[in-house]
Amino acid sequence: MTQGPQPSGSSSQASQAAGSAWRSLLASPRVRALVPLVAVLLFGAALNAHGAFFEWQTHRAVLREIAVEGILACGMTVVIVAGGIDLAVGSVLALGAVSFAWLTLRHGVSGAVAIPAVLALGALAGAVSGALVAFARMQAFIVTLAMMVFARGLAKELASGQKISSYVALPDGRFENVPTPAVFGVLDGRLFGGQLSVVTLVFAAAVLVTWFVLARLRIGRYLHAVGSSFEAARLSGVPVRATLLFAYLLSGLFAALAGICQAAQETHGDPETGLGYELDAIAMVVLGGTSLSGGRGSVLLTLVGALTLGYLQKVLSLNAYSTELRLLLTGVILVLAVLFQRRLARASA
Amino acid sequence: MLLELRHVKKAFGATLALRDVSFGLRAGEVHVVAGENGAGKSTLLRIVAGALGDFEGEVRLDGHAVRFQSPAGARAAGIRAIHQELSLVPALSVADNLLLGEPGNAFACVRRRHTREQARRALARVGADIDPETPVEALSIAERQLVEIARALAGKTRVLVLDEPTSALPAPAAARLLALVAELKAAGIGCIYISHRLEEIFRIADRISVLRDGERVLTEPASALDPERLVRAMLGRDVGQVPVVARSRQDAVRLRVLGLTRRRRPALDAVSLEVARGEVVGLAGVEGSGASTLLHALFGDAGDTEGTVELDGVRYGPRDPARALARGVAFLASDRRASVLAEQSVLENATLSSLRRFSPAALVRRPLEKKAVSRASTRVRLKASSLDAPAGALSGGNQQKVALLRCLLTEPRLLLLDDPTRGVDLGARADVHALLRELAATGTSILFRSTDLAELVELADRVVVLFDGRVVATLERAELSESRLLALMMGGVT
Repeated sequence: MTQGPQPSGSSSQASQAAGSAWRSLLASPRVRALVPLVAVLLFGAALNAHGAFFEWQTHRAVLREIAVEGILACGMTVVIVAGGIDLAVGSVLALGAVSFAWLTLRHGVSGAVAIPAVLALGALAGAVSGALVAFARMQAFIVTLAMMVFARGLAKELASGQKISSYVALPDGRFENVPTPAVFGVLDGRLFGGQLSVVTLVFAAAVLVTWFVLARLRIGRYLHAVGSSFEAARLSGVPVRATLLFAYLLSGLFAALAGICQAAQETHGDPETGLGYELDAIAMVVLGGTSLSGGRGSVLLTLVGALTLGYLQKVLSLNAYSTELRLLLTGVILVLAVLFQRRLARASA
Repeated sequence: MLLELRHVKKAFGATLALRDVSFGLRAGEVHVVAGENGAGKSTLLRIVAGALGDFEGEVRLDGHAVRFQSPAGARAAGIRAIHQELSLVPALSVADNLLLGEPGNAFACVRRRHTREQARRALARVGADIDPETPVEALSIAERQLVEIARALAGKTRVLVLDEPTSALPAPAAARLLALVAELKAAGIGCIYISHRLEEIFRIADRISVLRDGERVLTEPASALDPERLVRAMLGRDVGQVPVVARSRQDAVRLRVLGLTRRRRPALDAVSLEVARGEVVGLAGVEGSGASTLLHALFGDAGDTEGTVELDGVRYGPRDPARALARGVAFLASDRRASVLAEQSVLENATLSSLRRFSPAALVRRPLEKKAVSRASTRVRLKASSLDAPAGALSGGNQQKVALLRCLLTEPRLLLLDDPTRGVDLGARADVHALLRELAATGTSILFRSTDLAELVELADRVVVLFDGRVVATLERAELSESRLLALMMGGVT
């Protein structure tokens, strides 16, 4: 945190010409989002934990650790751009993890069937939230809060309150360890000579899909329009309700995808998993510089936000900061980063 | 003199809202302030009510100079204002609302029974039969108005400011309100009253002052004035008849409205009109007259309506804006927040209504979009640094042009415009007018409302005047004049 003001400090020493170049650079939200990330990276490099920060496996670990929440953040970005919020993603993730384990471990369903089925379940949960927001015109906060509780309950019900693992109870009371299906190993594995985790690639694919939806498709325009002004969008003939429904549906689908990744990494379906993940996902979106008021934002910004949060956690844990201190610092830095970006945005305007 | 304004000046940036206005109010009189939109009435009211502390000149109450820095200060001195937008808290009960903003209550413990008693007395004073425990949101507009007045009268009120209090009221409630004002007058309270209804003005006023372009141009006893002279003073000139321009009017009827009725307020009462192909028809009417509501109804945005509407001879009754657009009807809202997406780029704003054309397979084809928008933007003479600039960064006139671009790109048969040049500079106004004429010449039908009388006279082939949800007159181009329009809009007869 002591390194936070570093970029602005160097700018104040720069010449007049460099100052204006700096300013025009800061006019771009992407550059502004990068400032906190660079600050965290410099912080990490300075402390570097006896050189651990400079080893690839540290970075590979960060990329793996942010993947699950990062996938949630992709869906969250879509919902926030459309002017909403989805508090249910953490619970839908748990529902996805549990139902995936239930299908594959308990009932021996193959991954090729289980994955689409779980994704459909997540999309359904999202669609229910979306329908209530779009058609019943309920507040997104309330609807998704209810869905958060409901999906958690459903996950617990499905798992009878316990983890669904490869350790299966037989009718006669003995336990048996069934072999874990191949799909778990694939999702939890690494590629490129062990240099990159598969879940990182899943996250990258989620970012790509979200970017394509928001920036290239017609529905992306509609999502921005609805988030910018529901009334203006409606009067422009935008199918506002269908658009809102879509946003929550996509968020639910991504949450289920994150749940599948989570189950594969933990090799079981835990109904308690993903607690509080929705807040991390929102933090990633906000750290990227996306405003919660809707209409603006990009998943590339969210990617930067996810990296910032991931590296912050990594740097703090590498340097053996206590869990308590990590939480305190994360909260403080979140506020500072957003304040700082807003100041930059105003200065460059 | 109970209340006196001496040589009051107020500027907002470069615009002078009030230039050297002096104005007096006696105890026990109703002083009506009349004037066109933008004449300075609201500024005057805000100064009296303490909402604007920063002005030149002097305000005197009972002969002593006063300067209120806040509405609370004015209230403490006995000056109460009732604004067009009611200021009650919907979720609180009537009794709680009556207590809000009363001095000494901010942190005090609320005494339930005492409050209720006080509220009941205040309501009885305005003749309102309302249970003080009812939440305000459960009341009708007329009842809310009464609560508002009851609140204004709680305490020692000496000056009451009423800003178009009857514009949202049905006729019986409006009559009751006028009777109430007469009672207040008898009790020695001075009332400043703003109204756009001629009949009402002459029924209630003791004296009438007219503001025009920030100046007080007339103050006379109501008995010495007649509606015609009042209207002329408001306009500032004797607007003669406009020379008839021969326009080719194709006879094919594009839009036929028969007995269109909307029961909810603002109501429409059996409105019938026709717009021919390539014709420009204006709608005139004060706030609440139904002129704006009619446009919304024709765009599928006014909920349940009765009556028949035909578009090019085919039955037309869109349930929502998307369906109206699909039939070739485009609409421009009067409120820019409902027409321009400030955060989105000019390009994204422009193509929003016609996006299907630019994304045949869900994928938006930007080159196609760019070509169409840049071509159309020269047509409306849009001045924007780039098509990727956010629309909110443009001037008011250019924002309006962006919203018009969006309508244009849908290639409409019928264009519905709600006050298309409100808050737009003169250059942009001329550009918009030129564009509309050009569109009409190529066969697009245009139905527009305007609060700018000069615009109606300049632009329309025909003007339909609405009052209280009814069509009260249709003026052909040869019969158009601002004074006739204004008189008709205010419910007068010419």
